[in-house]
Amino acid sequence: MKSLLQFLANLDVKLKEGPFKIVHPMFGAINTMLFTPGHGTTTGPHIRDSIDMKRFMGIVIFALVPSILVGSYNVGAQAGVEGLFAAFMFGFIKLLPIIVVTYAVGLGWEMIFGHINGHDIHEGFLVTGILLPLTLPPTIPLWQVAVAVSFGTVIGKEVFGGTGMNLLNPALTARAFLFFTYPGNISGDSVWVALDGFTGATPLAAVAASTGPAVEALNSAGFSVSNMFFGFVPGSIGETSTIAILIGAAILLITGVGSWRIMLATVIGAYGMALIVQFFGGDVAGGMRSLPAHYHLMMGGFMFGAVFMTTDPVSAAGTNAGKWVYGILIGVMVILIRVFNPAYPEGMMLAILFGNVFSPLIDHFVVQANIKRRLNYGK
Amino acid sequence: MGVFKLKKGYDIPLQGSAERRVEKAPKTTAVAVQPIDFRGLRPAMKVEAGDKVSRGSILFVDKQKPEILFRSPAAGTVREVVRGERRVIQRVIIDVAGDTAEKFDSYTADQVNAFSTSQAKELLLNSGLWPAIRQRPFSKIADVEASPKAIIISAVDSAPLQAESDILLDGQEKTFQLGIQLLSKLTEGKIHLSVSEKTKAFFSNISGVELHEFSGPHPAGNVGVQIHHIDRIQAPEKVWYLSPRHVSQLGSFLSTGEYPGSKTYALTGSELEKRYYVIGTEGALVSDLVSTTLQNNTQRVISGNVLTGAKSSSLGFVGFYDDMITVVPELEGRRFFGWLRLGLQANSFWPMFLSKLTPKKKLAPTTDMNGEERAFVSTGEYEKVLPMDVLPVHLCKAILVEDIELMEQLGIYEVAAEDLALCSYICPSKIEFGDIIQKGIETMEKEG
Repeated sequence: MKSLLQFLANLDVKLKEGPFKIVHPMFGAINTMLFTPGHGTTTGPHIRDSIDMKRFMGIVIFALVPSILVGSYNVGAQAGVEGLFAAFMFGFIKLLPIIVVTYAVGLGWEMIFGHINGHDIHEGFLVTGILLPLTLPPTIPLWQVAVAVSFGTVIGKEVFGGTGMNLLNPALTARAFLFFTYPGNISGDSVWVALDGFTGATPLAAVAASTGPAVEALNSAGFSVSNMFFGFVPGSIGETSTIAILIGAAILLITGVGSWRIMLATVIGAYGMALIVQFFGGDVAGGMRSLPAHYHLMMGGFMFGAVFMTTDPVSAAGTNAGKWVYGILIGVMVILIRVFNPAYPEGMMLAILFGNVFSPLIDHFVVQANIKRRLNYGK
Repeated sequence: MGVFKLKKGYDIPLQGSAERRVEKAPKTTAVAVQPIDFRGLRPAMKVEAGDKVSRGSILFVDKQKPEILFRSPAAGTVREVVRGERRVIQRVIIDVAGDTAEKFDSYTADQVNAFSTSQAKELLLNSGLWPAIRQRPFSKIADVEASPKAIIISAVDSAPLQAESDILLDGQEKTFQLGIQLLSKLTEGKIHLSVSEKTKAFFSNISGVELHEFSGPHPAGNVGVQIHHIDRIQAPEKVWYLSPRHVSQLGSFLSTGEYPGSKTYALTGSELEKRYYVIGTEGALVSDLVSTTLQNNTQRVISGNVLTGAKSSSLGFVGFYDDMITVVPELEGRRFFGWLRLGLQANSFWPMFLSKLTPKKKLAPTTDMNGEERAFVSTGEYEKVLPMDVLPVHLCKAILVEDIELMEQLGIYEVAAEDLALCSYICPSKIEFGDIIQKGIETMEKEG
């Protein structure tokens, strides 16, 4: 252990200057991942909390593990692979290259910007690098992944100044880029089953295409509440299993990494809006309008987004009151997009990006309220 | 009596509190008065190395306001005037010998009651104890010309391992009362005395004050937090504050006619084997108070508490405003995969380590930063450790972009670095909230 520490220390000195300077941000990240940075305090507080960004982001990745496992299995199951392990391996082998490409390309960009800005690679990308693959269909071409990650990292984050400064969630920025540039590879009926020539619509698409009552359309397409809840339906790799996402949500909530306010508000917003839509349109119209509110929560990317994407602390509203408004706004928007915009049966990605754009404004009003309270104190 | 039950805040479960037992300091070899203890002070020296001084001799004065005096807490010979970078005077060290004292007039309670405001001010300035009174906003020595809206004294000991007021003031009820009488001449407003469940018995018979009872985790004992709940500061108002011990010291000066140089300290921290209270001298040498030998490379000696104290050493001196020494282990080196550990012994506010299952278990953390500085990422948690209607992240961002108007609007006048110390403690991005607030305060002083 001592010699490893010495080796790292020597390498650190060597890489700081000289021809390999550009890899120093990457080395720094690996170095501090292997061993704590070992910096002492110089002023008060003389002792510090054991928490750091690595732990913080590590917990998010840990919370994503159930979605990775069930999602991989489902990719195999959708392709007709028999057996639990065989199906999982089939799916995992589809997922792994996507993750590898995401990390390789994303970390490459991070390294370049770390070099320019003079800091190590920050931990935020570790999460982005898992989040993005889980929001993609298993058939996504890897070169598109590379292009999307580049866009998400550079335009979504680094041009704003890097982690902590970005307006939009980088993973969703990357996904939105793919969605609008190569819609054929990320939407429609033919991308969800990782087997050439096989098609399978997502539950949301099935409802959107129907004209009769939504539940009947789902049933006739073979989607039951239980297989949507457990995640055995076509869809993006990580988004299908509600139960796996809920386990992740529990981890985020227990550890305090994810904001319970945002998660709850998003669910309340969507559920409430879906009830309203159903109340006013449920009887006359079929399709999305007739979809029961609790179905919305289990379908498409809603739960994955509500748990892992809306709660990204950087792009979400930062004030506690603002978090409620932000979550409800996203919840309402996702239902509005799903129901009233037939071109996009899936609304979660756009709703969250919409919420991201508005979060500084929401915070602005909360801050103004704080200022007003201070001005009016004692009056 | 107003009762304030604060919910927000956090008590770090730390090993190393002092036993409630008082002893005399083993020795008194040297003391120091340190201009660096007083933020923004530029001293004009009145003594030099080799000069003989008595207890109560003037060592230096404030260059801008020469009526503010700093007197020697002990008699002896000036060993050295220590200068730091750019020849800034850091401390005046005195080798203690004998106990000759300068004589001043002494006063009875009735005489003090008859003082006018200007008489009281003059006496206070002459006593050398004026620097004990600080003001909010900005947390610095009180402005002599100002007339404060109130004076607040906190006997709520909420800081980590904090010395308990009733032990520090043991047997000093009379001098404390006399000090209050003098202070009451300085303001048209009220004198707020805040107490806790533990300390209220000691102060229950004090007259001339408005009592408030505060309960809740740290920083409930901070005057900034208390005045926020009692009567918020709005520009250009000023509130003065001082510690209960200084009130008693004032009373002692009035009744004895001598500069009171004696001071009780709590010896705390997990690295000290014997922890108790010692009676020593103001500005005491650390090694005079602690009987065991301290290892400066493996132990961090702090003048004050772990959150806001100043880094010192066995050869350092205790600060003017501090009445405790904390000794904690220095960081041991780099830990293998530290971020992956289960963390049974990990000190943390966050429920991300197993230690959260045993929240009462006291820990002995080192001076490890436990990470590196990152951008602001976490939101919503800082508010949990700040029992004020202040948005810490937004205020800090306003300071960082030097938006003076926004800083005012977001409450820069209400906070001091110490109030946000816990924000720095819990921060996963290791952001120094205290330093940022300090920078904000300095900006306001310059621009305002």
